[in-house]
Amino acid sequence: MLRRGKVRRRWLGVLMLVLTMPMAMADEVVGTLGAVGSDTLAGLMLRWGEQLTDRHPGVRLQLQASGSASAPPALMAGTTRLGPMSRAMSDAERGDFVEHHGYPPVAIEVARDALVVVVHRHNPLEGLRLTEVDAIFSDTRRCGGEQAITRWRELGIERPDGPLALHGRNAASGTYGLFRQRALCNGDFRVRLDEHPGSAAVVAAVAASPRAIGYAGRNHLTAGVRALTLVDAEGNAYRPDPERVRQGDYPLSRTLYLYLNLPPGQALPGPERAFVELILSPEGQETVTELGFVALPQATLERQRRRLGLNDAP
Amino acid sequence: MSDPSPSLHLRQRLRRGRDRLATALITAGGIGVVAALLAIGVFLVVEVLPLFWPAPADTGADVSWQALWLPQSYEGYDAPQHRWQPTVTSAEERPQYGMTPLVWGTLKAAAWALVIAVPLALGAAIHSALFMSRRLRSRIKPTLELMEALPGVVIGFIAGLVLAPWVERHLAGALAMVVLLPPGVLIAGWGWTRLPAPLRRGLPLGWAGLWLIPWLLVLVTAALALAPWLEAGWFGGDLRGWLETRLGLEYASRNAVIVGLAMGFAVMPSIYALAEDALSGVPASLAEGAQALGATRWQTLWQVMLPAASPGVFSAVMIGAGRAVGETMIVLMASGNAALMTLSPFDGMRSMAASIAIELPEAALGGTHYRLLLLAALALFVFTFLVNTLAEVVRVRLRRRYRRLGGAP
Repeated sequence: MLRRGKVRRRWLGVLMLVLTMPMAMADEVVGTLGAVGSDTLAGLMLRWGEQLTDRHPGVRLQLQASGSASAPPALMAGTTRLGPMSRAMSDAERGDFVEHHGYPPVAIEVARDALVVVVHRHNPLEGLRLTEVDAIFSDTRRCGGEQAITRWRELGIERPDGPLALHGRNAASGTYGLFRQRALCNGDFRVRLDEHPGSAAVVAAVAASPRAIGYAGRNHLTAGVRALTLVDAEGNAYRPDPERVRQGDYPLSRTLYLYLNLPPGQALPGPERAFVELILSPEGQETVTELGFVALPQATLERQRRRLGLNDAP
Repeated sequence: MSDPSPSLHLRQRLRRGRDRLATALITAGGIGVVAALLAIGVFLVVEVLPLFWPAPADTGADVSWQALWLPQSYEGYDAPQHRWQPTVTSAEERPQYGMTPLVWGTLKAAAWALVIAVPLALGAAIHSALFMSRRLRSRIKPTLELMEALPGVVIGFIAGLVLAPWVERHLAGALAMVVLLPPGVLIAGWGWTRLPAPLRRGLPLGWAGLWLIPWLLVLVTAALALAPWLEAGWFGGDLRGWLETRLGLEYASRNAVIVGLAMGFAVMPSIYALAEDALSGVPASLAEGAQALGATRWQTLWQVMLPAASPGVFSAVMIGAGRAVGETMIVLMASGNAALMTLSPFDGMRSMAASIAIELPEAALGGTHYRLLLLAALALFVFTFLVNTLAEVVRVRLRRRYRRLGGAP
């Protein structure tokens, strides 16, 4: 009898310890962060979420990655306060938000990214002029390509020979939209273009065939494919190097955003503040590089930290 | 008479109550399924209706029934086009909602799947129902039926990322296989009839499924070994170039034949299972009667068994067609999803089911694009519903016929 009582008391002690532990470790940053938006940013957001939980054990990030287009409606309806987007909000989306809340959403640049035009690793093609990209991928050639390019010979290449096999993302994805805007001047894609449900699938398809050419997110590059140098109208050649992408010189570079619903004049609530602090910190930007994106320039990071009233020294 | 003991009475009432409860639950379940099915149909109709009624102008929808199906003239083209490009990236553009290519792609993919699956599945069903040894059949049949449980996404993945690139690299070899395998198997059959009787007993017909495997391997190896010679001799060393210059066919690595192979593999088990059931359900008295009258095995098969089982075989093919039309993941991963409208077996296509899968998550709720995708869903729903109903009706007829012929129910 006596022994059993002792055991029970010991268990009670352990239980108390377990229950009070979070209290002892608690800081002011507790809660669940909900985010709805881009699937391009999904991997990055999840990694940041893990790091946030390491820093502040009381915070969890819940992510719903259903595409950039899903962020503005969710922010407007108030189901989330964080909207990661792989493009800037359109005027219509911003207008809807302002109409609903009476103030604009806060946009935070979180990383840079780029689309790359890729070919098989054995393909000798080095680079393309932007008009050639248009002539290859578009039926309407809005960017000024005179003649459609459908065969490798027309690019001055002997091997591979035969027609180009085109690969790209599915209609309605952000990558598709950006490529169509920048590389096709909003023209129509060629009908004979294989649409894949993800950038990784595009890269895999191109890596499997020497005649293939495709476009994909830069962070999905593998050893099986080679990213092409792009040459603009003035004859400047740009490789999709981190430095070129960071400065925005590379013609198909883009900025990835995190949109916040924050009334003007108010400070960021604890969990959101911790999250943004993490993203703009050297640690957060290191994660950006690790996942194949490009970190923001130091000046941009500092400007944004000041604007949001975050500590300058991380 | 004295009253039955109260406990017995109670137990009886309890049992009856439980009975009623079970009946009620089962009825509710049945009604629930039918209601859910109806609800899906009603939901689709309600979501699709605003496209056409009230008048399109009132709802802001920018399509008409004709615009969906007939070629339209778009800016930048000489002739009217069928185009599916449902999203725009600037305000001046107008989305292109030609749905004919999607319907075409769906039917083309299903047709190729059936072209590949039906002969193989029916051949397998006939062999296993009539000729195969009972022991082998008891192994093969469950295995084939288990194949049906293989998820479409796995088949699609293998087709898109392994099979398609392999066939692209070994095009001549793949073609040589198609040319060599059927005659090779026929030669094996002919050789078998010429074997001396004791040897033939060692290789019984019922086990052909096993002893043909080494022969098939030999044929495959021969096809791959001969392919370079074949390509050099007949096609000028470049089969792809030959296809292009002579026949005008461009070879896309994800094409109708690849989809047909993968989806044929997926629908084969269900066609096989249903056709096998129909064939082995033919009353034994019929076949025995025919053979007693002097018919050969071949005559019995073609003149007695197949005609008797034909409704079952038909419904098996129908069920296969229904599955092929609705199959999503295989087409999504192996067809290339280019909205082409060509007859070429070496071109890709875009099916309605695959379009729904990749575009619906990104389509604005309640927009024209969203409603059009649901229109495609409605079309698929109606089609599979009709096909399955037809298949079921035919099957019920067949069962009745067997009963009349005096076989097992």
